[in-house]
Formats: sequence, C-alpha cells, structure tokens
Amino acid sequence: METILFVTSTEADGTLNRHALEALGTAVDTAVSLPGSPLVVGLFGEKIEAAANSIANCGAVRFLGVEGAEFTQARYATDAAALEMLCRASKATLVIAPATSRMARVIAGVSHRLNGRIDTHVNAIATSNDQVAITRWFYRQRMFSELTRTQRPWLLSVDSGCHTAYQGESQNVDIELLPIVLGSDHLRTKVAGFKAPSADQQTIRPDADLLFVTGAGWTKKQKDGQTHPKEAEQLILGFLRETKASLGGSKSLVDMSGEGEQVLQFMSHLNQVGQTGATPRHPKGLSTCCHGEEPHVVGWRFIRERRAVNLDPNCGWARGKADVLYVADAFEVVAKVNALLAEKHSTVNA
Amino acid sequence: MADEEQQFEQERQSLEVDIACVGFGPAMGGFLTTLSQKLAADSDHPLESAVMTGMPLQVICYERADDPGFGVSGVVTRARGIRSTLPDLDPSQIPMATPVSQEKVLYLLDPVGASRRSLGLRTADAAIKAFRWMLPVDHDALELPYTPDFLRKHDGLVMSIGQFNQWVASQLMTSGLVQIWPAMPVQQALIENDAVVGVRMVDQGVDRQGKPDAGYMPGMDIKAALTVVGDGPVSPVGRQLDERFGMPPGHEKHDWAVGMKAVIELPEHVDLKPGTVFHSFGYPEPEIFGFFYVHPERVATVGIFVPSWFDSPVRTAYRYLQHFMMHPYFWRYLKGGTLKSWGAKSLQESGKRGEPFLAGNGYARIGEGSGSTNVLTGSGVDEAWTTGTQLAESVVELLRAGQKFTRENLERTYVQRRRRSWVEKEGRVAEHARDGFQRGVISGLIGMGLAGMTGGRVSLHLETKAPHERLRSPEQFFASRLSAQELANIRRHCTQTNTPLHDAVMEACGWPAIPFDGKLLITHQDALLMGGKVQAPAGYADHVSFRDAHVCELCGARTCIEICSGQAITPGENGVPAFDREKCVHCGACLWNCSQADANGVTNLEFRAGAGGLHSAQN
Amino acid sequence: MPDPLQTLEPVTGVGLPALKNEMMLPAVLDPWAGHALYEAANLAKKVPGSKVYLVSLGQKAKLQQVMMTIAQKVSFELVAIDGPASGFTDAHEVAPALAAAIMAIPGIDKSRLLLFGGWESASRGAGATMQILGEILGITDQFEGVDEITVQDDGSFQVLERVEGGKHQVSTCAGTPAVLGWATGNLGEPRNDPQVGMANMRTVMPALQRAKPAKVAAEGVLYGRVELPKQQRNTRIVKDMPADQIAREIIEWISQK
Repeated sequence: METILFVTSTEADGTLNRHALEALGTAVDTAVSLPGSPLVVGLFGEKIEAAANSIANCGAVRFLGVEGAEFTQARYATDAAALEMLCRASKATLVIAPATSRMARVIAGVSHRLNGRIDTHVNAIATSNDQVAITRWFYRQRMFSELTRTQRPWLLSVDSGCHTAYQGESQNVDIELLPIVLGSDHLRTKVAGFKAPSADQQTIRPDADLLFVTGAGWTKKQKDGQTHPKEAEQLILGFLRETKASLGGSKSLVDMSGEGEQVLQFMSHLNQVGQTGATPRHPKGLSTCCHGEEPHVVGWRFIRERRAVNLDPNCGWARGKADVLYVADAFEVVAKVNALLAEKHSTVNA
Repeated sequence: MADEEQQFEQERQSLEVDIACVGFGPAMGGFLTTLSQKLAADSDHPLESAVMTGMPLQVICYERADDPGFGVSGVVTRARGIRSTLPDLDPSQIPMATPVSQEKVLYLLDPVGASRRSLGLRTADAAIKAFRWMLPVDHDALELPYTPDFLRKHDGLVMSIGQFNQWVASQLMTSGLVQIWPAMPVQQALIENDAVVGVRMVDQGVDRQGKPDAGYMPGMDIKAALTVVGDGPVSPVGRQLDERFGMPPGHEKHDWAVGMKAVIELPEHVDLKPGTVFHSFGYPEPEIFGFFYVHPERVATVGIFVPSWFDSPVRTAYRYLQHFMMHPYFWRYLKGGTLKSWGAKSLQESGKRGEPFLAGNGYARIGEGSGSTNVLTGSGVDEAWTTGTQLAESVVELLRAGQKFTRENLERTYVQRRRRSWVEKEGRVAEHARDGFQRGVISGLIGMGLAGMTGGRVSLHLETKAPHERLRSPEQFFASRLSAQELANIRRHCTQTNTPLHDAVMEACGWPAIPFDGKLLITHQDALLMGGKVQAPAGYADHVSFRDAHVCELCGARTCIEICSGQAITPGENGVPAFDREKCVHCGACLWNCSQADANGVTNLEFRAGAGGLHSAQN
Repeated sequence: MPDPLQTLEPVTGVGLPALKNEMMLPAVLDPWAGHALYEAANLAKKVPGSKVYLVSLGQKAKLQQVMMTIAQKVSFELVAIDGPASGFTDAHEVAPALAAAIMAIPGIDKSRLLLFGGWESASRGAGATMQILGEILGITDQFEGVDEITVQDDGSFQVLERVEGGKHQVSTCAGTPAVLGWATGNLGEPRNDPQVGMANMRTVMPALQRAKPAKVAAEGVLYGRVELPKQQRNTRIVKDMPADQIAREIIEWISQK
C-alpha cells in the first residue's frame, strides 16, 4: 500500500499543461491498480484553483496547494520549498510528477531533502501484488530497465508522451492551502522572462506533427563537387515554412555551427537530436541526409512514423529503423516538396 | 586586410623539454617503458633535467590520435622483446591477449571464380581440386601440412595492439616519469644546421586550407636535446627526415600494404580455441594475404593485407575484406557474427631494405618507420618494441656519461646495439625475401621460401619499383577482362553517381554482390559508424590535399579514391578528388597509392600531419 | 565514462547491470561535464582570483586515460575519486561522494562556490546528481540546462536555462554560491595546449595517486531486465522513383492525420 502524490506546477494562466495531465493519467492508473492506496494532488503556482477544479474528478482524496506571487515563475529555491512542503504534508510514499523543465529542475533536490529517492526519465509504472516497478532509460535512451526500490518516498519524474492525458469533468474542489514562509534566501534569484527566437526564426516546435531531421549531408559536397549551403538553407527553411515542422539536426551538423563554421545560420545546439541532444516526441519524422546508425538514431527514438531520404540504399536507416527509405537526393526531393506545397497553398489562398 | 592579418597575429610559443617523442606505438612503448624502468631503478641518483633546474628528466611523447592505442589491431607476436622488458607480463591482465594455441597456414582456393589467377596458379588449383581426396583440403582451402619455421609464432601471443598500447600507456603514466599527450599531432622536425633540435606541433584554429581562423594558435615549438621519432611508416616527421637526409645507398621504401581488420564477435556455436591462428594466401586475390586470430571470449580479429605489388588500380581493401570473410573456410565460423570494431593501417613492407639513417645529431628513429619490420616472418610489433628498448638503454648510457646526443654517440650506442641484436640478424635474412613479389605471386612465394629455408643465404635479389611506377589505368589493367565499352559505361555511371569504380568493376569481373546482413556484412559507411568513431576535431587543416589540380584531372587511375579505407576520398569536380576529413581513418594508404609523381618521385597527393582518426569501438 | 558515440550493450549478472566490455570501451569525460569544464575555465579567465577544480569520479585507470586528453585543454586542479562511472549507480550515492571530496579541498570557501557540472550525464541521463550535490552543500540557487552565464560587475550573474519550445528562461542570481547544470553552452572545444598540459600534469598525477576509493552502488534498487529497445521495422526501400513522385508521396503522408 502506498500514498500517491501527483504533484506539479500550474501554468501562468492557472491551467495544467498536457505533460502534467499525462503524468496525472499515470498517477491515477497507479492508484487504481494498488487497492487501498489513496491519491493526493499537490499543486503550486501563482493561483491554483482553476487547475485543481479542472481535475476534480481524478479520484484524489485530498487537494493540497501552495500559491502566491513568488510561485509565478520557475525558480529553484521557491519551487523546491513548495514541492518539499507538498510532499511532507501529503505523507506520500510515491510521488509522481511530469518531467517539465520546471519540475525537473527541483524534484531531485527535493528527494534529497525528504531522504527519499529519485528516478527520472520514467516512461511506465507497473504494479503487481502491491509492488511498484518502473521502466526508465539509461545511457541516453540507448537501453531501458525495469527496476524497483525499497526506499520511500520514491519520487518519479515521468517523461512526456508515455500516457494519454487525463480528461475529466471540472468541478469545484476544496483545496488545503499550505502556509509557507519565504525568506530573502529564497529570492536571491529573479526571473526576468524568456528569450525566444523571433517568430520567423522559430525552428523548434514541440507540438508539431512532424520532426524534420537534417544530417550533415546537407553541408557536404554534392554531385557537382561543390557545397551548396545557401541552397540547403533555403530548402530547409522553405520546408519548415510550408509544413510547420519542428527542426532537428544531427550532432555533426550542429557542431559545425558551434565551431564557428556556421553552415546553416539558423541551427544551434538547441536543434540537436540524439547523442547529447534532445529526444523529442512527434507523431512523424522525416530524416534527410542523415545516417541512422546507433547512437545517432536515439534522437528519433520516440518518433512514431519514420521516413528517410538518403542516397545510400544500404544506409543504417534501411536496417529496420525507418518505415520507408527513399533512395534519392534530398536536395531534389525537398525542392519538389516545397514547390508542390507552395503551389497547393497558393491555390487554397486564391 | 591589414586588420585581418593583425587579428590573427599570434606569437609562436616554445617549450623546452629534455626528450621529445613523436608517436605512441609499440616502439615508443618499448622506449618509454625501458627508460622509465631505468629511471626508477636508480632513483637515488635521478637524472636531472637540463631545461628545468631541479626537476627530473622531462620526457614528453606526442601522439596524433585521441588516445594511445586507439586503433583496431589484432596481432600475433612471439613477444620475445616485450617479454624481455616485462618478464612478469601476464597476458590475462591485458584485454584480448592470450597465448597462441594452434597455427595453420592456408592456401585458399577461389570458390567464386572471379579472382585474377595466373596460368600457374590455375594449374595448381586444378591439381589441388583433382587430388582433394588425398590432400588436406577443407572448405575450399588447402591446409599446409606444417607451418614453416620462419612463420611460426607457437610460443607467442595473440593480442590486440590497441589494448596492449593502452595498457602500456597506462603503466607509463602511473609511473609519473614520462608524459604521453594524445590528440597532439607533430607537424615537423625542427632542423638547424643538420641537427634536429625539436619538433613543431600543427597549427590549431585554422580553416581547412590551413589559414588562420577563429582561435588561431600557431603550433608550438618543442625544443629538445633528443627527438625520438617513432611515428610509423606514413607520418610526416619520418618522411621529412627521409627527404632531408636521404636514404642509405641501396635502401628504398617501395613496398607497402594496407592492412584492414575487423574485430568480430563470433556466433555462439563457434568453439574455436582462443589463441588459434590462421594465416592465409591465395584469395580473394592471389596477392592478398589474410589472417584470422582468435582472442578469448569468442572474439576474433580477421583481416587482409592489400599490397602495393597487387597492381589493380581499383584495389579496395574493404570490398576484398568482405569477400575474404565470406570464403567458406572462414564463413562457417563468421556467419551470424557481429562486427564490433574495424580499422585500417598502412604497413611499410620494405623492412630492412627500407631502413633510413637510424640516428643523426639530435634524433634517433625507432619502430616500423625505421625499417624494423620483418617482412619474412610477418612480424613487426616485437621488433619495433625492441628497437625502442635499445634506444632507451643507449639514452641512459649517454646521459649517465654526460655525453651529448650526437650522431657519433647515438651510432656508437643505439645503432650498435641494434646491429648486434636479433632484430638486425633476422632483418637481414628477410631483406630481399619479398623482392620476388614485384614479378608475380609465384616468384614471390618462391623467393620467400628460399630466403626462409636458407636463412637468407639464398634469395631473389631483384630491382623493385615504387608503387607509382607500377600503377596503370583501369583500361590497361582490365583489358583482358572488360571491353573498353564496358569500362566506359562503368566510368560514366560512377561519375554520375559520384562513386568509386571498384564495386562496379569487380562485379563486372564476376565478384558477387555483397549480401548485406546489417551485422557483419555492412556498408563501408556503416563500418565507419559501427566499427568506431572518426574523430575529426575542428580547427585543423585538412591533412590530405592535392598539389596540382591539373595533374589529378589528367590522371586515369585515381587509385587514391579506390584504396581509401574510409571513403574519405571521393570523386570530385573535374576529376580532382574531394577529401572529407570526417571519414578519414588516417591509414595513409592514399600516400603510396597516388600514381602521379614528379621527376623526384614526389606524388601529387600530399599527406600531412593531422589530428584525429578512427577511434575503434573495441580495439 | 564510456564514449557515448560507441555502440553500447548491457549485461546483467550478479550486482548492478553493466556494459559489455566496459573496461575496453574508450573513455571520455561526459560530454555535458566537458562543456561545463570549458565554461568554468572560460569564466575563471575573465574573473581574476578564480580557480577551477575538476572533481571527477571514475575508475582510476580510466580517469588517467581521460586526463591525458582534457588536461591539455584548460587549466584545472584535479580532485579524483576512484569508483565506478556506471550509469546504473544511484545519483543519491554519487552525490555524497562528490560532496565529501569537495568539502575536503583545503581552504574551500563554500559561499564563493560556483558548482558547474553536466545537466545530465550520458550514462544515467537523470539530471539528478547536481541537484542533490547542491542540496548536500546547502546551495539553493540552482539552474539546469544552462547555455550561458554572464557575470555582472556587482557579482550577480545572469543565466540562460533551456526550457520548452526552444526558448531560454532568463534569470539573475544575486551571487555565489550557485549550482549550474550545463547543457551544451556556446563555446567550442578549447585548443590543445602543451604548456597547459604540462602545468596540469604536476597536479593530475599526484591527485590520481591520492584518489580515494568510493563505494558507490545503488542500494535498495532491484534491477529487473535491462534491454536495448527492439527497433526492427520492416523498411520499404524505394529506389528509382522520380523525385517528383517521392515528393507527392511525402506530402500525402505528412498530410494524413
């Protein structure tokens, strides 16, 4: 028997984001599968009422909250204080939280304060005979393991895309607001805001249906023995404009930018997928000029449908990793795709 | 422009050490191990640094690769010299090392009928097939009834030189008496008044053409009383010294080979005994020798040597390695295996005949680049190691006597030690053992046999030619097998697809397509990824370039593209090959595979010092 | 840790899971930790009176191998701990070992500490060790996924942290102490400098000799199976299709919901 705490921060508008609702879905399932294990919800943010009401019917026996202007923005000292207080008040043995950037920043530190244990990159929680086991990744999504722990509280940071988001009727709930006293030590860090690329340079779109993966082949010498960085840049940006896809790059491609060889001006390390980069989740992925061998392939491990355009028919991608491999010149294919889409869009607009 | 120049103006720094060493391989392992042992043994009377008062002797070794022992390199060695330096050597402490348990020499028949075999060999093949019922023929291979003495390694070890070098480097660093710095390519020796006074490192923070760029740092000068050159057969310092000081009369470096190897995890059902050694010849081409060594834990190193006397201008080690692995004798063990690591290296196959001046004022040469490889016994590691130990003993002798590292002193000590040793004695037996291969495989084998059986008293003394003097165009070489039209079609197709000629030419000559399995039979590019990782750090100039574009345009062979072990050299604009550093494994084969040389024998392809190379996954 | 660019394979047996042939795999400084080190050295150059310590946990032989490469890049003083660099150990055991080593540095002033490390590691990828380490040392200004630090004249500093959607959160911290878990940052890899190498080596070898063994495992964790994902797909390989037709197929595919 466990006491399960689902805990998260609320958004600026007082709602819960999709990732949080997915983690709640995991928490609800876990509570249901462990008879006699109550579910508690803990929320923190500037205002939490709307968020609490939106998940009123999730089966939680208590709704705990910490709120105030100091919790509007993500800051380690204040967030950790709120999270610690919620965990302690809930007397939870199992704490489930989404791995959003805000929660991921504090949850491990809080696990230490609670003398508990943390596991991150959790993608499944299974129960059998009152035992809880998780599945999590090691070595950068290269291998996974099932494991269980004897220590409690056990804090679990759950990856996105691993569970369907919780959905339920909204209703007013009673929230137990926990009093929290903050000192000046909590406020040594001030959050000024966010820095984002301008709208026309926005290439990372986590909610896009398609991830467009570009490999170093775009910068290499082409058939005529020359490199064509300008053309590559126009083709890739044109594709992103037409499809609203999110852009990923292989390590070797983004490294060139980092080393001062700015081949594709708009790419940075933020675009990197695989190796030291991100492992984003999108329904579809199209890879171009990119070799798909381990460890490169981990970058699109969580892409459901995968296609690739590559000149080498025996490339690692062909070895059971993509659904379709087009043996063709990506420069030619992407130019055609862009032209056809532009034509289609202008027809629609007309 | 002035601003731009100023922006990159950087003073070249210099550093003084006592002994500067170039390249970390078995020879340098032998040198530094013996030197450390001698320094440690007499710690009561430490040798003081002449450049840092009060400090111990400053001995620094610079290695181009990003780790000592980065490369894949199964080897069988009698380890006489290694054991003499390390009497307590326990092979079980070194990953992949094990004593030799059995040896076989195989003559491989051609099971696919595509190999280029002379009439003599075809006759021999027919005879073997006709009498297979009474001969030890197994899976299309004739197992020689005994291993000639000169080839036997029965008392030796099967090892991975990568693992061995790592182990040696680790012991050395722990001693704290010498320093080894990887990822530090030496560009050239510093020569003043015919004396080597140190080395210059390569420039960093330059673009691919070598022009100063962001973070420009001119290569540092390392001044040293003694420079130990052990940078192998194709590296720049040894070649610079050869050019500057010339070669002793009658010596030349005409014979080369590229060795390509794969470390393979054998399928579970294979129960070959660790320490099993197969040497082979006859297939995939008669000129190509092969080997198969079994390490502990069901791992094997399998490889071939493609020599410079195999005259095909479309010689490709990678494709031939695949056909070699698929020979029925080996395929029964390898089928279902997994490639764990892969790599390639050039070998200086002239041996004693390619020996340069071993010492001069301020420098000494050890290892393969100093002609220590024994081309008859097929052994180089132990010989290289031993030359290193001989130099170390001599260095300590000179230091203790307070004598300088002059040519005379080094000749009196190091060169004399070497001349008196088994390395020299056996090297002399081997000196002309392989000359016959310049005329053909059968004369080559006869020459080896004669030299081997008579202890070198009888051998074929023949004129040898440099590779570029032998190479012909594909049209000439394949005239008997492919029509001019067929070859023209292949050329057109390969130009359109930007691919080398070898796959298409070999398939037109009857070689079957490779049935890729994604595990062992994989594409060349997959081998680069699965077999390791090419390190090509930014900020260094390309180390392969082409001196005169016009010469490349007119070149009909472009063997540099065909031989390239990593597909780093590819067809380029107007026929001038393109070079991609991210794929270069630094095997150096392009250097001796350029068919275009000027009147002085300098080839059009330039191979300079460069950083990185293949970091094999499991060497 | 083993070079993450290599093909890795897990093995299980008695005790913690491990990597096949772990000791034979080339070792590197974790890529994120490497970035953190270069950022630290870069900052130390700009702020007089700063000193960079590199506290590293790994098997002694492998640490030595790694030092031969990185000690040429930037100046630092090594504090070595001899223990496993495995991803299967627990961050809750790694962090105390690191904390003890930091506290044992003679003359260390905790209040002036900027604790730089990798945001995640390439082995565990957990993003947990730095936070726990900060907590043990009592540091509650912590930043994760950092790409940039700019120190102001008054000793405060601005930090850019990666957040969702390719954006950075911009924060200003009043001053040390703080924990910064680095993402990749914006610096290129520093050049190899023989002089830096020789200077570092004077402290690296003694530090390796002094390295204390640390018992780091994963107490209380029971590992079940450890596996590589089964990623075989039936790939349809399309050859000789005109680019135009491929483009139409791709458009049709990305239009499907």
